[in-house]
Amino acid sequence: MSGLLNVNARARRRASRPALARLLLGTTILGVSAGAAHAIDDPSKPLTTTERPAEQASSATEQMLRRMQMMEQRIQMLEAQLKQKQQGTPSAAAPAGAPPAGKSAASPFKLGPLPSAGTAPAGASAPATAAGGAPAPADAATQAAANPQTPPRPEGPTPTAQTALWHLPPLPGGQPGVSSDKPLLGVADSPVPGLSIGAYGEIHFGAQQNPAAGGQWQAGFDARRVVLLPTYAITPNIIFNAEIEFEHGGSAFDADDKLHGTAEIEQVWIDFKMVDQFNWRAPGVDLIPIGYINQHHEPTQFYSVRRPELYLGLIPSTWKAGASSFYGTIADGLSYQVQASMSLEDFGDNFDVRTDANTVPPFPAGYAPGISGTDALAFAQAPIGDFRQLNNAVAIAGKLDFSPPFMPGFAGSVSAYYTPNTTPRGAYDQVFGNPLGQSSLAMFDTEFRYRIPDTGWELRGEVVRVTFGNPANLRANNDSDPFNNVGKTMWGTSGEVAYHFPLGTFIGSSWEAVPFFRYTYQNLQMSGFAGTDLNSPTGFGEQRFYTAGFAIFPTPQVVLKASYQRIKTNDPVAPGADSVLGGVGFFF
Amino acid sequence: MTRWIRWSAPAALAISISAPAHAVQYLSIAQAQRQAFPGATFAEVQGGRVWKAESGGRLLGYFVFDRVIGKHLYIDYAVSVDPSGRVRRVDILEYRESYGGEVRSPSWLAQFVGKTAGSALAVGQDIRNISGATLSSEHIAQGVKRILLAYGGRGR
Repeated sequence: MSGLLNVNARARRRASRPALARLLLGTTILGVSAGAAHAIDDPSKPLTTTERPAEQASSATEQMLRRMQMMEQRIQMLEAQLKQKQQGTPSAAAPAGAPPAGKSAASPFKLGPLPSAGTAPAGASAPATAAGGAPAPADAATQAAANPQTPPRPEGPTPTAQTALWHLPPLPGGQPGVSSDKPLLGVADSPVPGLSIGAYGEIHFGAQQNPAAGGQWQAGFDARRVVLLPTYAITPNIIFNAEIEFEHGGSAFDADDKLHGTAEIEQVWIDFKMVDQFNWRAPGVDLIPIGYINQHHEPTQFYSVRRPELYLGLIPSTWKAGASSFYGTIADGLSYQVQASMSLEDFGDNFDVRTDANTVPPFPAGYAPGISGTDALAFAQAPIGDFRQLNNAVAIAGKLDFSPPFMPGFAGSVSAYYTPNTTPRGAYDQVFGNPLGQSSLAMFDTEFRYRIPDTGWELRGEVVRVTFGNPANLRANNDSDPFNNVGKTMWGTSGEVAYHFPLGTFIGSSWEAVPFFRYTYQNLQMSGFAGTDLNSPTGFGEQRFYTAGFAIFPTPQVVLKASYQRIKTNDPVAPGADSVLGGVGFFF
Repeated sequence: MTRWIRWSAPAALAISISAPAHAVQYLSIAQAQRQAFPGATFAEVQGGRVWKAESGGRLLGYFVFDRVIGKHLYIDYAVSVDPSGRVRRVDILEYRESYGGEVRSPSWLAQFVGKTAGSALAVGQDIRNISGATLSSEHIAQGVKRILLAYGGRGR
């Protein structure tokens, strides 16, 4: 620990001077450019610390002047209307600078002359200059929306200035406004500009075969997950994001609550947005950038009730870890992410049996493997808390996402993960108690999603492959269980076809139905076994999943699902694990 | 342990020389106006929201600034409408979120050109869904539709 501190302190000392110089330079540039930058910003943006008081003052004066100008125009306009009404001569009093009313009445959209047109400055962005949160124009808009009848509407046949006004609601984001997209759970405006709270979740129910009960069909229900998604733009370029997740109804100690779920921080990070091509995500809990569904796992992103099978073991979604990354967009339709994270670990037992020394329980107590030929990597995630990781390795992952402009509707990605070591501290084989050495792990994934333009068809496909550096050091090959052994590699592939049917409008929204079929093959017990175990795989590691069903979207934010899944393995005596499930998902 | 330093040093460097403020803003309102109606003069119609574009006294169309929420954060965008109520251009002025930035793709935005208040403007129908940017694409399409209705429905 002290060594680490020393290294850090040295690094800081080494880095401090040039970094300070750069910081000063950066601040100076910011100071100089801030005026210009803010001149073109949107009105609701808060002042940055780099903005100078003098600029604030001058912009406040400008703002005041503009307000006065607008008020003056308004008075003139109202006077003109009054006069016109008294004289009974319609459209004679259009303000100076506006086109003749007759012309506007002839337009198909009956666009009339616009009252402030003549005098409003051509430098149209000027109203947006005031970065003071609630500038004059927004106030005017609020006023207009609040009192749409304030300017007396003429009753004559020819429309005058007022009929042509755009009455858009004020911009959301800090001001009370009319908007269908609310930042707080989709129902309310945020009291704090930049703060939003979203949510997603899914409910599962139905019947499934329980392998532990010899494949007996059992009916059941699962409040699978409810997730709150707070996001706060601390500044426009520094953004906080988190996912707070409750699984299986949550957790409790009391017997009467009957809860055995989790409450967990699935994501928490702060992003520093710099340029389009390069942004930094500070160390936090983040998702590993592998495949599509691991990072986009909301229930509206896939059509089956359960997540696609490749993400239930080979990719242990929701796969998260202590991590930091860079990401950006390289070109139109091409973006990347590179991430360093705490490594997977080959330890699949209860958290409690880790020792205080952060090792596996000593021989001969034994422990369950994190990587196995029956569950793939499902139990291999590193813990995210309390410095309780069982090895020192840092993994590197990278992903390239593409949606080529020349191929509309197509999106895909390639991604890879590498860790130099998955073996936990104190690992041993269960036969002799000898220590197990290191074993690296590499994963490669490629996938695509293609919504064929102008048709309802959608295709998805994916291949994922995991390679182990030294299978002889994997716990599954040394745990005295001859059935769960692992070879040199594991892999899986899946293909899915879906069709989008519009169902028409019902109770005020347009519904869509998406029937789908997905086939998944995975082989978790390839050749290349090495270790102290006997090796007699039952064939359970080679699995085929046939999943069919449909998803109905009453709105894009809500999905009702039904799916049937048949699972076949090469183990002739393995109990069935088929299921018929319904699901409700939401994401907003 | 030096591995962490090796990885975080470039980040520290990048932050300390980070670009001027609001690098994530792609276009200012004025820039977007110039792109949509080159050479036109702009007159504000509704404060901070709507501008009329004219050239030599001839109406070229309207420029509307709007804001919708993406997944969590607001997207600033602008819709330019020609006098007949057809979309001339849609531009993303500012995108704040980490994911879903694909809505900035020019080829995706080009789909809005020519749309009117009568168009479906529904993702999955006349506007392509963007995988990974579902909510952003939905909300922008809805926003454009709202603006066209506000324009097209006027005086009828």
